Parts: sequence; structure tokens; C-alpha cells
Amino acid sequence: MKIGMIKATGPFERVVHWCVALSCLLLCFTGMGMMYHSLNGLGTMVGGMANLKTIHNFGGIFFAISLVFTIGMWWKEAGLFSFPEDWQWIIAGGGYLWHVENMPEVGKYNPGQKMFFLVVALFGAIMVASGLIIWFPFSFAVSLVRMMYVLHALGFVIIFAFFFVHLYLVTIGAPGSAPAMFTGWVTKAWVKKQHPKWLKEMEEDGTLVVYGEEKCSKKGRC
Amino acid sequence: MKKELVKLIDLSRCTACRGCQVACKQWNELPAKRTKNFGSYQNPPDLQWNTWTLIRFQEHEKKNGKVNWLFRKDGCMHCTDAACIKVCPTGALYHTEFGSVSMHADKCIGCKACITACPFSVPKYNADTNKIAKCDLCYTRLQVNQPPACVLSCPTGALQIGAKDAMIKKAYARAEELGGDANVYGDKFVDGTHVVYILPERADVYEHLPVDPKVPLEIIIWKDVLKPAGLLAAGAVVAGCFLHYITHGPKTPDDETTCEGGNKS
Ligand code: HEM
Ligand code: SF4
Ligand code: SF4
Ligand code: SF4
Repeated sequence: MKIGMIKATGPFERVVHWCVALSCLLLCFTGMGMMYHSLNGLGTMVGGMANLKTIHNFGGIFFAISLVFTIGMWWKEAGLFSFPEDWQWIIAGGGYLWHVENMPEVGKYNPGQKMFFLVVALFGAIMVASGLIIWFPFSFAVSLVRMMYVLHALGFVIIFAFFFVHLYLVTIGAPGSAPAMFTGWVTKAWVKKQHPKWLKEMEEDGTLVVYGEEKCSKKGRC
Repeated sequence: MKKELVKLIDLSRCTACRGCQVACKQWNELPAKRTKNFGSYQNPPDLQWNTWTLIRFQEHEKKNGKVNWLFRKDGCMHCTDAACIKVCPTGALYHTEFGSVSMHADKCIGCKACITACPFSVPKYNADTNKIAKCDLCYTRLQVNQPPACVLSCPTGALQIGAKDAMIKKAYARAEELGGDANVYGDKFVDGTHVVYILPERADVYEHLPVDPKVPLEIIIWKDVLKPAGLLAAGAVVAGCFLHYITHGPKTPDDETTCEGGNKS
């Protein structure tokens, strides 16, 4: 670890994040194996389509549990917008869509991330509910099960598309983000660029953890 | 490609002997199951994984106050626009060269999507095998130019099989001959079924017979809209990300030296 790196995430946060991300990806791909006949080969890889469905269904339960932890862990930080800076950030397109000189400063999660969180939370819950109903269709009215198939497919379209945006931004779109998912330590320059208000808040609250340093004293400089 | 076939069921000739029901079980080696008497000659109460065709018994009061007995041979309609094929994730259900809907049982994963989709409530689930089962219009018999077992067994001529056009023509001629409310059922929806009824009464008189069957709207939205939309959306997003990267570029931290010596001030 390099001296001066800043702690962005804790181990629990990273484990939950990986659980929900990997199970969501697993569900996307096993689901696609069932949705598109041309991808039935994904079933062959696991010994047949019946196994693919089993993996999808029990993977779904794992996803559901991970989702509960994800929502519990993040809803306060990522589920609530704080005005007016979040609104200004949205108007400025986060500085991603075009170059903006004075970006409004946002906290630990920017409104784009908040929207992604809300979409995953909402559609994740929809996927779990609709998935369970189409798993056990005899326990429900046919008209309901038919609607659940529509919801399950719609949720897939949205989650799958959003996932790529997320993946792009945390890798090559906003370099420096990925270490938050691996070691949990990010560079100060990255925090300053992406989450300046969060940096200030941490500095003021004395919660900023810098590698190789004692915790910052209240109002102290790091 | 062989000619499309249609099984014609003339209900005016059916005496409910249930020869077809038994012949179907015999040919397809389907076991019988103990059932409960529910106050009707009809047995079993519904189609089952082990009962692919069933004579439904129904008491019907005519307009003149007289009661008559209606019999209907129920089973797969072998739709052209078949909801069950549309939803099957594995390709277990498929159209044969005769236009009938057959099944590769080894491919079925018991997901029950076809049960949810079928407008005629035909496919039935077998929990022991974790597969569905239904009439396949005796595909192996058709392949060797034999009529389906049920057709062969029918003593009254209520069941026939033949080229689609000829059968439909015959159906209309017979309906006209019968007169009254008699009508042809099957050629006008789901792009035409490969089982066609001559109904002596109006379709809405018969129990468990949908008057206007179609592939459910939900199934169309799911399979014809959202399924392609999934690929389109993902493709558009990936393309968009790439374009963003090469036209606008990443959002990079201002101070790149941090990684090197730290950022202690
Ligand atoms: C991120 C979450 C999820 C994604 C992206 C996802 C994706 C998919 C997709 C693409 C399909 C194929 C639909 C089709 O054939 O058109 C599918 C089917 C299915 N999913 Fe999910 N799913 C998710 C969560 C769940 C959960 C939580 C459960 C249940 C515990 C579940 C149960 C099922 C079942 C039973 C099917 C039906 C298979 C079939 O009938 O073909 N899914 N899913
Ligand atoms: S009646 Fe049902 S099971 Fe038979 S072909 Fe039509 S949709 Fe499929
Ligand atoms: S239950 Fe079997 S036949 Fe029916 S849709 Fe699923 S895999 Fe296909
Ligand atoms: S066509 Fe064959 S499988 Fe279908 S009901 Fe008749 S005997 Fe049974």
C-alpha cells in the first residue's frame, strides 16, 4: 500500500458488493442462456439446461440475500438525494457527458451512482419477486404468472444495460475507482476529483483514514 | 416438406365411448391413475400428464328447455402460432413437418413456461420426471403414414385426419349440413390450428373452450418485444460507452502523482 492512500470502503462493504455483483452477473448470463436459444450452449457448459435453470434459481436466492445486505448497507448513503448539489450535478451531466469547469461537489455517492443503486434495488426486488413466482407458477393465478414473465424480462433488459454503464465507469471511464472494490484504498486525487464533498466531510468529521497516518484530528489537515 | 395435416373432430358424431382416450393411453404407454367420482361420467376431471386426450361431458339446456349431453374431445390443438413453442427456453417443443407440435422430452427442463402460456391449458406437468407431457398428434405414426391412435380407434367416424385444405373444406360442408348453430372451430385463430372441431353448438356453450383464443399479450411483449430489446439495449450501451471513451475520454483525477509518492502535504 502506498503512503497517503485514502480508505474508501471497508471489508464488509466490499464482500457484500462482490456478492451482489457476481450473483447478478451469474443470473444475467444463466438467464440469457434460457432467453436466447442461440445461447443454449451456456446450458451445455454446465451439463444441460436443467442445471442452468437450477443454478439460476438458487443463484437467485443468493442474490436475494445479498440484495438485502446491499440495501441495508447503502440506502442511507446512496438511496437518498441531497439537494441542491445533486440536482446541479445531474444538470451538468456529472461532468461525464461534456467537460464542465466547476462541477458541483457531491458526497460519497454521486447522483448517477445513486440512480444506479436505486435501479438495482428496485429492479432487483422485482426480479426476486417475479423470479420466485415463475419458479412456482402453480401457486399463483395464471394471469399473474404471465405478468411476472414480462416483469422478469423487463428487469433483465434494464439491469443488464445499466450493468455495462457501471462496468465502464468504474474501469476505464473513471480510472482509479476499481481499487475501492479490491483493496479499499484509493488515491486522494481520485477522491478529490470524484467525491470532493465527501473528502471535506471526512476531513471535518475526522473520519478520514490515510494510509501510514494516524486518524486525522478534528478539523486537522491530513 | 410433407403436407400440413389436420385432425378433424366432428362432435356431432361423438358418442363419448372414450375409445380415443383409451387408445391414446395404450399407444403412448400412459398409466392410469386412481381418480375420485365427482358426479360426472367424465373421468379424469381434467387433462393430466398421463391423459393427453379426454372426453369432456357437459349437460346443456337448449333454448327449448330440453337438456342434452355435450361431448368434447379435449387435447392439444397443435397451433400454428403456438404460444408453447414461443416460450420454451430449450427448444423442447417444436413444429413438425406436418404442422403439429411435438416435443423432445429429453430437452424439457420442467420450467412450466408452456403451461403458463398455452391458451388452451394443455401441457401438464409430471413431478416424477420434472417434464411436461401432451398430445404430439402421434408423430411417430404420422411419420410412417399411419393415422393417430385415437383416430384409428374411433368407431363412429367423429375423428379423421387428412390434408389441411381438404379437412377444412369438409368441416365447413359438414357444419352447413348440420345447420343451426353448428360451426367450425380452429381455422381462424392462432394462424390456424391443426386440430379442428365441428361444433354442433356455439363455441361459448362449451366448457373450458376459449371463444377467442390467442397467444396471450404478455407472452408477445415478453418474447417479441423485450427479448430483442435486451440485446439492443446492451449493444447500444456498449457502443455508447465506447463512443464516450473515444470522443470525450475518461474522467481522470487531476493529480496523477499521488500513486507515486503519496499526497502528503
Ligand atoms: C439480477 C437478477 C436476475 C436476472 C438478471 C435474471 C434474468 C433472467 C432471465 C434473462 C431469464 C430468462 C427469461 C426468458 O426466458 O425470457 C430468467 C428466467 C428465470 N428466472 Fe431470473 N433473473 C434474475 C433473478 C432471479 C431470481 C432472484 C429468481 C428466483 C429466485 C429467478 C428465477 C427465474 C426463473 C424461475 C426463470 C424461468 C426460467 C424459464 O422459465 O425460462 N430469477 N431470469
Ligand atoms: S394448444 Fe397449447 S400446447 Fe397445444 S400447440 Fe397450442 S399452445 Fe401449444
Ligand atoms: S416445461 Fe419443458 S416443454 Fe414446457 S416450456 Fe419448459 S422446457 Fe419447454
Ligand atoms: S393424436 Fe395420438 S397422442 Fe394425440 S390424442 Fe390422439 S392418440 Fe393421443
